[in-house]
Amino acid sequence: MQLELPDYREQSPEVRARFAKIAQRPVVLGVEGLTKRFQTPRGEVTALEDVTFNVHRREFLTVIGQSGCGKSTLIRILAGLETLTEGSVLVDGKPVTGPGPERGMVFQGYTLFPWLTVKKNVMFGLRVRGTDTVTAESEARQWIEMVGLSKFENSYPHELSGGMKQRVAIARALANQPRVLLMDEPFGALDAQTRCQMQTYLLQIWRNVDITIVFITHDLDEAILLADRILVLKPHPGRVEELIEVPVPRPRDPGQLLTPEFLATRKRLEELIHPPSSATTDKLPNLRLTTVGDEVE
Amino acid sequence: MPADKQHWFRIREELPPRRAALLTAASFLLPIAIWCIVSYTPFIWHPDVKLQLSAMREGVSTTYTAGDHVSRDFFPTFVEGVRSDNAAIRESLADPEFKGNSAMRRENQRRLRQLAPVAISNGWLSAGDAENDAAIYEIWKGIATGTLVPTRPALTDENLAIVRENWAALAAGSETFDFKALPDKPLLKLVPQGRLANPNYLPAPHEVVIKGWTLFTQPLSSGQWLYQRLMHSITIVFSGFLLAAAIGVPLGVLCGTYDAFSKLFEPFIDFFRYMPAPTFSMLLVAVFLAHDAPKIALVFIGTFFQLVLVVAKTTRQLDRSLLEAAQTLGAKPPQLLGKVVVPGILPDLYNDLRILLGWAWTWLVIAELIGVKSGLTEFIETQGRYRNFDAVFPVIILIGVIGFCTDQFLAWFRGILFPYTARNRRPLGLGLPFKGLFQRSPVIPAATPESSR
Repeated sequence: MQLELPDYREQSPEVRARFAKIAQRPVVLGVEGLTKRFQTPRGEVTALEDVTFNVHRREFLTVIGQSGCGKSTLIRILAGLETLTEGSVLVDGKPVTGPGPERGMVFQGYTLFPWLTVKKNVMFGLRVRGTDTVTAESEARQWIEMVGLSKFENSYPHELSGGMKQRVAIARALANQPRVLLMDEPFGALDAQTRCQMQTYLLQIWRNVDITIVFITHDLDEAILLADRILVLKPHPGRVEELIEVPVPRPRDPGQLLTPEFLATRKRLEELIHPPSSATTDKLPNLRLTTVGDEVE
Repeated sequence: MPADKQHWFRIREELPPRRAALLTAASFLLPIAIWCIVSYTPFIWHPDVKLQLSAMREGVSTTYTAGDHVSRDFFPTFVEGVRSDNAAIRESLADPEFKGNSAMRRENQRRLRQLAPVAISNGWLSAGDAENDAAIYEIWKGIATGTLVPTRPALTDENLAIVRENWAALAAGSETFDFKALPDKPLLKLVPQGRLANPNYLPAPHEVVIKGWTLFTQPLSSGQWLYQRLMHSITIVFSGFLLAAAIGVPLGVLCGTYDAFSKLFEPFIDFFRYMPAPTFSMLLVAVFLAHDAPKIALVFIGTFFQLVLVVAKTTRQLDRSLLEAAQTLGAKPPQLLGKVVVPGILPDLYNDLRILLGWAWTWLVIAELIGVKSGLTEFIETQGRYRNFDAVFPVIILIGVIGFCTDQFLAWFRGILFPYTARNRRPLGLGLPFKGLFQRSPVIPAATPESSR
C-alpha cells in the first residue's frame, strides 16, 4: 500500500516565511569548493569533492549520508582537526586554519576529561583561554544548569550515564560561546530512548542559545526532526547530493514523526540514501539449511 | 540461586566475596602448609640426620660436631664405627698388660665434652660454657647418679650405660674436675645420637621464625642491627629508582608526545636495554668507586631504560580524541602537554612506576654484591656461605614482604589519588577479598553508574 504523500518541497506559508528569514541572516559558516584527497598505499583517494554550502546564523544543519561518504571527514575539516586539499572554510568570513574555540565540537565518544569533575570539564575551555577561576566557575554553573545537571557538578565522568556525559560535553562546548557547534554523531552511541530524550534536550538548548549547529548523523528521523536544512552527501567521492529544506514546522517534537511533511521528507531521504538499485546488489544466495518444512516468512 | 550454592568453576565469572577471600587466604596458607608438612613429617623426605651428640674417631679425617647434618645412609656406619671403637677400648682395658698413658688425659677431657651439646640443649649449661670442664664434670656425675635426667634429647640406654661406666672410672680419680686426676686409660665414647632432618638448606618453619625473631631483636655479630641494613638496602633501591624516574618520566612523556624526541632517543634506549645492567658492574665500580654510588648507578641503569620506553608507550596510549577535544575548546599546543597529556596519563603512569619499582628491587641484589658488599644481600651471602640457611630465609622473606606491602599500599593509594578511575581497574585488589573474610553474607554489588541515572 502506498500512502498519498505531499511533495517534500511543498512548504506551508509559515515555513516558507521562516526560511526566508533565515536566508536574510548573515552566513556564519561558509564552505566553498571543499575538496579532500588522501594519499594511501593504493593511490590517491578523493574523500570529498567540491563541497559547497552556507550555514546562516542560528540555523540547524544536519549532514546525512551512507557510511563512508565522508561525513566525519567533513566535520573534522570544519573543526580544523584535518586539513583540506582545495577550497575554503570561512567562519564569519575568516578562513579556518586549525582548531579554535569559535567552533565547538561534540564527539560521539564523549571525550570528557576523566580526571576533571563535571564543573571543571565545563570550565576547561574558559580556563585555557585565560578566564579567571571565579568567572569561569559561575559561567560553568550556568551552562551545567542549562543542561540540567546541577546536581552532578562535582561528579566525575565515570559516574555519569552516556546521555549525561553527552550533555556535559554539550555544556562544555557551549561554555566557550562558539559561533558554530559541530556535532559528530553525538547520539550514535546512545540507546533509542536516551537518544530521543537527547534530541528534545538539544532542540530546547538550541532555542535558548544563539548558536548555529552543524550536526552529523546517519539516522534519517534524527536528521529531519532536528534540522532546518539537510545536506545529503553522496559517497565515492563525497559530494553534495541535495540540500533539503525541511517542511516540518517548528517547534518540533517527536509527535511530528508521522505527519505528512515529515514522511514526505523521509521518503525523499530514503530514495537518496538507499536507492532501489542498492537494495538488490547484495542478494544472498538461496541456500536452505532447515529441516522443518513450514514457512517462517 | 544463592551464592554459596553456585558452582566453583564458572568460566570468567567472579566468585562471591567469601569464596574469593577464602581462596586468597589459601593462596598464602597452602605454601606454608606444604612447608610445614615437609618439615614436620619425618617419613616424607628427611634425607639427613642432624647430630645431637657426636663423637670423634681416630683415623677418620672428617669430624662431625653436634648440629651437623650427616646423610641418613651414613649415620648407622658412623654409629657402628664408634661402637667398634668402644669394643676395642673395652678389649684393651680388659687386658691386664694394658698400661695407661698420661697423654690419654687430654683425649679423655675431649670425650667428657661430648656431653656438652646435650647439656646445653637441656638447659644445664649456657652456650658459652661448652668447654667449662668443671661444669661438664658435674653433669656427668649428675646423669650417672640419676640426679639429672636428660630429656631434650634423652640419652639412649646405651649412652646412659656408658655414662655410668665412665663415671665409675672418673669417680675413682676425683669427685670434682681435676685434670691431673683424670684416668690415664681411655674412657668410652658416647655413641652418636641424632634425629631425622631435612637438608640444612630447608630449615623448618619454627627454626626460621625463631632465628628471624632473634635477627630483629638483637644486634648482628657485626654490631649493626638488621633494620639498619634494611634501611641501607631501601636507600639504594629508592635512590636508584627515584633518579631513574626523575629523568626517565619527563623524557618518556616527551618521547610519547613529540615524535622528534621519540625518534631521537628511543632507538638508542631500545638498544641499550638489551645490555644487561650487571654487565656494567665492573665499569661502574671503576667510575664511581666502591661504595654506594655504583650500586645506585646499577639500579638506575636497570630501571631507567625500561622506564623511558614504558612511559613513552603509556603516553602514546592516551586517547587522541581528548587532545582534539581540548583543541576545539581553545587549548593551544603548548598547553596540551600540561593540561591534557600529563593529567590524562597520570593514573597509568603511576601504575608503570609501581611495576618498575618492583624491577628496581630485583636489581638490588646484584647491586649490593658489587664493590664493597653491603646491606641485606651481604648478610644473605655471608650466612649462606656458612650454610646458616635459617638466617637466610627470614631476610629473603623480609624483602618479599616489603616489596609486596609497598605494592599493595601503592595500589590502595592509587584509589585515593585518582578517585575518578573506576574501582575495578585496580590490578590486584587484595583489599577487596580480605574485606570479604569479615562479611557474613554476600554483598550486593553497588549500583553501576549506567543504572543509577
